[in-house]
Amino acid sequence: MSRRPESGFSGLGLADMALAVCDHLLKNGIQVVLSGGACVSIYTANKYLSYDLDLVLLSSEKQKETKAVVTALGFIEEGRYFRHPDSPFFLDFLPPPLSVGEEPVKKIAEIRKGGRVLKLLSPTDCVKDRLAAYYHWNDRQALEQAILVFRDQHVELAEVRRWSIAEGMARKFSIFKGLLPQKKR
Amino acid sequence: MFKALFGSERKGRVLLFLHAHGESYPSEIARALGYYLNSVQTILAGFERGGVLYSRLRGKVRLFGLNPRYPFRRELEALLEKALPFVDPAEREKLFTPRLRPRRTGKPL
Repeated sequence: MSRRPESGFSGLGLADMALAVCDHLLKNGIQVVLSGGACVSIYTANKYLSYDLDLVLLSSEKQKETKAVVTALGFIEEGRYFRHPDSPFFLDFLPPPLSVGEEPVKKIAEIRKGGRVLKLLSPTDCVKDRLAAYYHWNDRQALEQAILVFRDQHVELAEVRRWSIAEGMARKFSIFKGLLPQKKR
Repeated sequence: MFKALFGSERKGRVLLFLHAHGESYPSEIARALGYYLNSVQTILAGFERGGVLYSRLRGKVRLFGLNPRYPFRRELEALLEKALPFVDPAEREKLFTPRLRPRRTGKPL
């Protein structure tokens, strides 16, 4: 019986898996930005663990190429997701534009490790992204995730407030703000 | 009316239906607009993939609606709202003017 070659994905945690996939895509000319719950996992050292890697494509021209590149890595397409037999995480490629609510993301964060690059939402945009789910779906889990990110990272609260008001969500921002822990300076 | 913009008249009418009804499910949309179910499902799946629509399960039914997190939602809603008066009045009354307020159980129609 023939054995499947070692993928290198076995045992990788979420951040390393995201780093490996994003870096590989980048080397093939495909720019993606990690969004959604996976950013919460990374920014909170897995206090909240996501298995879903939401990767926003920066160019809609690259959708077909993306499928070929990840399939060559051993990922298998299942509906709109891609799974790898050596990993519990799955990939979901989302179309551009990269946005939080009604606004485009202006500044993309990067994590560099061992010569690899992972592009992802900044902590401030990650909080906005989670709050968008709370604001529009009333999702309390997303609200708690936003609080976790605020607690563990530097988040520009004034910017989150400005964005919330622009989204028409000043009242819900007050609820979020009231739940935030005091940070030591 | 919508063909030049969305590539097909059906796509625009499906969006208009969802804009007017808030949420709906594929067989309701297909029945109301007189389209094949498969055709409606393909249209909905395409818009969902593009982030224009959301879907959620309610019991055994998958409901679709305009995604409030779609960055051009306000502009899309404005366009659909502007399109409504251009629909034939009888059709607008029948398909795109639903009663959304509640009706108490047992109340005669």
